[in-house]
Amino acid sequence: MYDPSQMARFAREAARLADASKFAEQARRAAEAAKHLDASKFAEQARRAAEAAKHLDVSKFAERARRAAEAAKHLDASKFAEQARRAAEAASRVDREQVVAEASRFTEQAQAAIRAAKNLAELERLRIEYLGRSSQLTEVKKLVRELPVEARPEVGGVANRASRDLEDAIKVRAEELAFIEREARLRAEAVDVTLPGVPYPKGSLHPSMRVVDEVVDFFVGLGYRVAEGPEVETDYYNFTALNIPPGHPARTMQDTFFLDEGLVLRTHTSPVQIRTMLSQEPPVYVVCPGRTYRRDSDPTHTPMFNQIEGLAVDRGITLSHLKGTLAAMARHVFGEDVKVRLRPSYFQFTEPSVELDVSCFVCGGSDPKCKVCKGAGWLEMLGAGMVDPAVLEEVGYDPEEYTGFAFGMGPDRMAMAKYGVADLRLFFEGDLRFLRQF
Amino acid sequence: MRVPLSWLREYVDFDLSVDELVEAISLHSQEVDGVHRLGVLDGEVVVGEVVEFGQHPNADRLFVAKVDLGGREVQIVAGAPNPYPGARVPVVLPGSVMDDGTKLKKAKLRGLESNGMMMSERELGVSNDHGGILLLDESHEVGCPVLDYFPVGETVLELDVNPNRPDLWGMIGIARELAAILRTDFRIPEPSFETGGAPTDEYGLRVEAEDLCSRYDLRRVSNVVPGKRAPLAMRRRIFSAGMRSINAVVDATNYVMLETGQPIHAFDAEKVRGGIVVRRGRPDERITLLDGSTRDLSPEMLVISDEERGLVIAGVMGAEDAEVGEETTDVLIEVANFEGRNILKTSQKLGLRTDASGRYERGLDPNMVDYAMRRVTELLTRNPGGEAAAGTLSHYPEPVRSWEVPMRIERAELLLGVPVEEDEAAERLESLGCEVSVEGGRLSAIVPTFRRDLWREVDLIEEVGRLNGLDRVPEELPKTSLPGGLTSAQQKVRAVRRLLADIGLAEAVTYPFGPDRWLKDLGLDDGHEPPRLANPLSAQAREMRSTLLPSLLDAAARNEAFGVEGGAIFEVGRVFEASPPPEGLREAAIHFRFTGEMDRLGPEVEPNAASLMGVEEISRVGGVLAGTIRAAAWNAPERRAGFFEAKGIVERLIPGASFAPGVKPFLHPGRSAVVYVGDAVAGWVGELDPDVAEKFDLSSSPTAFELDLAFCEPDTAPRFEPFTNVPAVSRDLAVVVDNAVPAGDMLATVRALGSPVLVGARVFDVYEGSQVPEGKKSVALRFALRGEETLTDEVVNAELGRIAERLREAFGAEVRSG
Repeated sequence: MYDPSQMARFAREAARLADASKFAEQARRAAEAAKHLDASKFAEQARRAAEAAKHLDVSKFAERARRAAEAAKHLDASKFAEQARRAAEAASRVDREQVVAEASRFTEQAQAAIRAAKNLAELERLRIEYLGRSSQLTEVKKLVRELPVEARPEVGGVANRASRDLEDAIKVRAEELAFIEREARLRAEAVDVTLPGVPYPKGSLHPSMRVVDEVVDFFVGLGYRVAEGPEVETDYYNFTALNIPPGHPARTMQDTFFLDEGLVLRTHTSPVQIRTMLSQEPPVYVVCPGRTYRRDSDPTHTPMFNQIEGLAVDRGITLSHLKGTLAAMARHVFGEDVKVRLRPSYFQFTEPSVELDVSCFVCGGSDPKCKVCKGAGWLEMLGAGMVDPAVLEEVGYDPEEYTGFAFGMGPDRMAMAKYGVADLRLFFEGDLRFLRQF
Repeated sequence: MRVPLSWLREYVDFDLSVDELVEAISLHSQEVDGVHRLGVLDGEVVVGEVVEFGQHPNADRLFVAKVDLGGREVQIVAGAPNPYPGARVPVVLPGSVMDDGTKLKKAKLRGLESNGMMMSERELGVSNDHGGILLLDESHEVGCPVLDYFPVGETVLELDVNPNRPDLWGMIGIARELAAILRTDFRIPEPSFETGGAPTDEYGLRVEAEDLCSRYDLRRVSNVVPGKRAPLAMRRRIFSAGMRSINAVVDATNYVMLETGQPIHAFDAEKVRGGIVVRRGRPDERITLLDGSTRDLSPEMLVISDEERGLVIAGVMGAEDAEVGEETTDVLIEVANFEGRNILKTSQKLGLRTDASGRYERGLDPNMVDYAMRRVTELLTRNPGGEAAAGTLSHYPEPVRSWEVPMRIERAELLLGVPVEEDEAAERLESLGCEVSVEGGRLSAIVPTFRRDLWREVDLIEEVGRLNGLDRVPEELPKTSLPGGLTSAQQKVRAVRRLLADIGLAEAVTYPFGPDRWLKDLGLDDGHEPPRLANPLSAQAREMRSTLLPSLLDAAARNEAFGVEGGAIFEVGRVFEASPPPEGLREAAIHFRFTGEMDRLGPEVEPNAASLMGVEEISRVGGVLAGTIRAAAWNAPERRAGFFEAKGIVERLIPGASFAPGVKPFLHPGRSAVVYVGDAVAGWVGELDPDVAEKFDLSSSPTAFELDLAFCEPDTAPRFEPFTNVPAVSRDLAVVVDNAVPAGDMLATVRALGSPVLVGARVFDVYEGSQVPEGKKSVALRFALRGEETLTDEVVNAELGRIAERLREAFGAEVRSG
C-alpha cells in the first residue's frame, strides 16, 4: 500500500540518516513524482491509508492523511525540494535516540493494532501491512543498505527488533484468535444433551427365568449339575416313585392334568430327581428347573408355574447341610443380610420335612405394614426335607449308606416377592407392558 | 382346623401371648394360617336385667331400655325389639373394644343417652345370629360378668393341618401337641354318665362291606327331650370352631367331633327300620341328602342304610330320611371308622366335602371310637337329656394295636445334623403319647394308635427334631466337591435367550395348551392329532401346542388389544407331538407308565422308555415381531416388523443357515422361508398369512420364526484366522438382472468362483423402477478384495471382470454403467 504521509515521514527519517545529497535527489524524484500525481487516485489511496490507519491510531492517521492529501494537491516541486533540503538539514542534526524512539513508537502502535485484530483474516492483513514485502519496515530495511556503515547496525538492529517484536505479537495474537475461534466454533456446535441418545434395542428376560438363572448359577457354583426331564410325565415317575401310590390323599392335593392313560402333565419337577437317581449312582448333586402344571386357576394360582427342585444325595448328608445350602442360596438371591428359619412341614417324599422361611429382604421384619411380608417379617420360600428312605430304596440306593436332602421352590413367587408383583397371572400372558419391565 | 383358644385352655395351660403361641406352633408343629377374633376383645360385659323397654321417642326403628346392672340402672338405646321387662341380657359397657377394633363409647342417639349396648349373639361371638338381643336364662345372675358363664371374646387360630396328622383335627390332639411343645401337661375330660335307657340291640347291626369299614359302633340314647338347643357355651364353641349350631343332638355330635377329630352321626331311631346295614351302594340307587341334592350311588360308595333304604353316604352326608329333628326322642349314635381313600374318592366323585369326610379321608384311628362314643353319650344325657343304653353294638373284628418302633440316636444325629440327647429324645416321644424304653443309644417307642404316621425310625427322628427345635440345626455346607456346571446344550439355551433379549426381544413364558382351534386356524389340522388334556380347565386350554406360534400370536393379539404399538417377543419352550407306542404295545406302555417297569414288552422288543411315553417333546425357540418393533426417535426412524427383521434374527441364531422359499400353510407364500442347516430343516421364518392374522385378531400380519434349539449356534466357538496388514480394496458392481433372480444365488455364485483375493461380497442396494427396464432390477454388490500384497488395479479389475462375466453367464446380468 502506498501511503504518501508515511512515505513522507520515512523520507524524512531516511534523509536524517542518509547523506543530504542523496536525499535531495530522492526528494527531487519524489517531488517530480508528486507533480504528476493524480489527485483523485491519491485521494483514493489516502482513503485506503486512512482505512488501514484506523487500526493504528485512527484519528491521528486519518488526519495526517487528510492533510498530506491536501498538501499534495497543492504540491509544487520547488517547495518540496525546499522542504526536502530543510529536512535534510534537520536530518543531519537528528538525534539517534529519536530514531530509536520513533521506531519503538511505531512498533507499539503496530502491536496495539495486532492485539486489536478481530480475526485471523484481519491479522493476516496486518502482517502483510507491517511485515510484508511492501511494508514500511521492509522499506526501512532496504534503506539501511544506503546508510553510512556506522549507522547500519543500529538502524538495522532497530528495524529487525521491530520486525521480530511484531512477528511475536502476531504469533501471540494468532494463538489467541485461534483459541477464541475454536471456543466459538465449539459453542456453536453444542447440542441439547438432554435429548435422548440413539436407541439401541433393549429386550428383556422373563422375571421368573431371571430368578431361575440366578438360582441355577448359585447351585452350579456349588458343584451341582442341572437335570431336566419331560413335562408330560408318567403316573409312576410323577407319583408312585415319590411315595405317592394310587389313591393316596396327597394326589388330590395336587390337582393333576391327565392326558392319555397313565400320562400326566408333571405336577412338580420331582420326577426329574427320580429319573436322575435311577440313571446314576451317588453322589448326586442336581437342580431341576422347569415348568410344572396343576389344575388350578385363581389370582394366586395358575395352571402352569415354574419350579426349581434340587437334590443332594451323598454319604453323611444332614439337615444342617440342607439349612446351610438353602440359606446361602437365599442370600445369593435376596441379599447378604437375609436370615432363614426352618419350620416343620409335610411332604410325601421327604422325612423330616421342613419349610424354609427367609427374613423379609425389604423390611427385615421391622415394618408391620410391609407390603412384601405383610408385617410377618418372614417370607415362605420353599419346601424341603431329608429324602425319605422309601424314595431312596425305590431308586436302588441304600438308605443306611446314603442320606440326602431335597428341596423345591417357586421362582415365580420368588420373582413376585423380589420384584414386587402382586398378580401371578401376569407372568404368563406375554403382556409387553409387564415383560418390558424386566 | 380352627382352634378357639378359650377352648384349648380347657385341656392345657399356657402362658403365652397370641404371637408367642403362633410362633411356638408354627416353628414346632403346623403352619398357622391366620388369627381370627370374635366378640369383645377387651372390656366388660355384664348380665343386665331389663327394667323398662319401649319405643325411642324420636326414632321409629330404635328402642330405649332401662337396664339393671346389679344395683345400678342405666339407659341403653337398642336397635332390636325383642327384649322385654324382666329379660336378662348381656350388656357391654362403654370403653370396651369390639372384634373389629372399634371402641364402644357413651353415645347420644337421637337425643337419648346410651350407656352401653345390649348384644346380639353375633356381637358376642356366639353365632352368626344378629336378629335380636341375646336373651340369657335365669341361671345368669344379674350384675355378674358374663365371663363367669362363657367367654365374651375369642381368639381363634386357623391351623393348616398337614395330611399326615389327622389327630390334629380335634382339640384334644392339638392340646397334646401344644403340651409336647411347651413340655407341660394336658388333660382329657373323663366322660361319665348313667345308663339304663332302652337297649341298643333292639336294632340290628350288620357290616357287609368290611373292607371299607374297619369299625362300627352304635349306641342308643332313648327318652331324649325333644326340640332342645345346645347350651349357649357349647353353641358358642361350635360356632367359633367354624360350624353351625343345628339342634342339641347334632350339636353334641359335632362338638365331640371338634374335640376328638372323630366324626359322629346320629339317627332318629324311630325312623330306622330294622337295623343298621353298612354296605356298598347299589346300582341305580339314589339318595336325597340333607342339602336337598339327590345323588346317584354306586358300588364304589359306602352307604349306611337300614334294612330298607340308604340313610347316609358313609362319612360324607346323611339323607333326610332318618335325621334327628325337632320331634326326635330316640337316638342311635354311630361312631365308626371308614376307609379313608374310599371316602376321599366318594367325596371327590360327588364334589361334596364335609367336616366329616375331610377327617375320614386322612385315615382315622379306630381306637378313637370308644372315647368319642362315651363322650358324646355323656353330653347327650346332659343336654338335651336322655337315657343311655348300657351296651353298644360294635363291629370291630380286627382291633388295631400299638406297634413298636426303634430309633438309633446316632441315626437321628446323622439325619438332623445336631447332637441328640437320649433322655431328651425319650421325653419328647413320651410327650406325644409313646411309651419309650432306652437302651445303649437305642430308643424303642410303643406308638399310640392315633399316630398312624409314626411307623418308621425316620418318623420318630422327625418328631424329636421338630420338638427339640429346628433352630438348633446349624448352617453347614456338604463337604463333597464335584464338577458341576451347565451342559453345552444348557449353555446354548442361555446364549439364545440372552442374545434375543440383547437385540431387543422380550422373553415370554406362555401356556403350552390352548383351544382346539389352534391347529385349525394355522391350517395344520390335516391329519395332525396333538396330545390333548383329558381334563382341561376349559375347552380353551385343551390342546398341547405342537408349535410355539399360536400362544405367541395370542400374546401379540393381547398386546395389540391393550394398545401396545408393537413389539417383539420370544419364548424358549417345548412343543408336544403325539407319538403313540408301537403297534401291539399299548398295554405294555400303560403298564410302564403306572409302574416304571418294561417287563411286559415281550422278549423280542428292545426296552425303550421314550417309545412308551406316547408324547414327544421338542425344545424350540420362537418369536413374533408385530407392528413397530423399535419406536421412532428424534434422530432415528421407527423400525417395523418385516420379513428381513425376522430373518436377521434367525441369521444371528444360526449363522450358517440357508433359506429357501417355504410353504407353511400359515405363512405368506411369498414372504416366508424354510431355514436349513445343511440339508436338515431347522425351522421357518416368515410373515403371517393375512387370513391367519385375522383369525388371531391381529390387524396386520406379524412376522415370526421358530427354530429347533438343537440347530441354534448363537455363540459358535471362535477360530482365529490370520490376517495381513495389506488393506482391502472395496469395489462396487451394479448389475441388472431379471426380477426373479434371487440375490442370495448371485452371492453364492460369486463366492463359488473361489477367488483367492475376494474376501467379502454383499448386496448393498436393490433397485427397481424407472432407471431399469420393466421386469428387471438393479442389484448393487460391494466386494472387498485383498491379496498378500497391495493389489494392483489390473488385478482388481481382472477379478471384477471375472465376477461380472460369471454373473452374466449365470443370470444374464448386465453391468450397469455409470
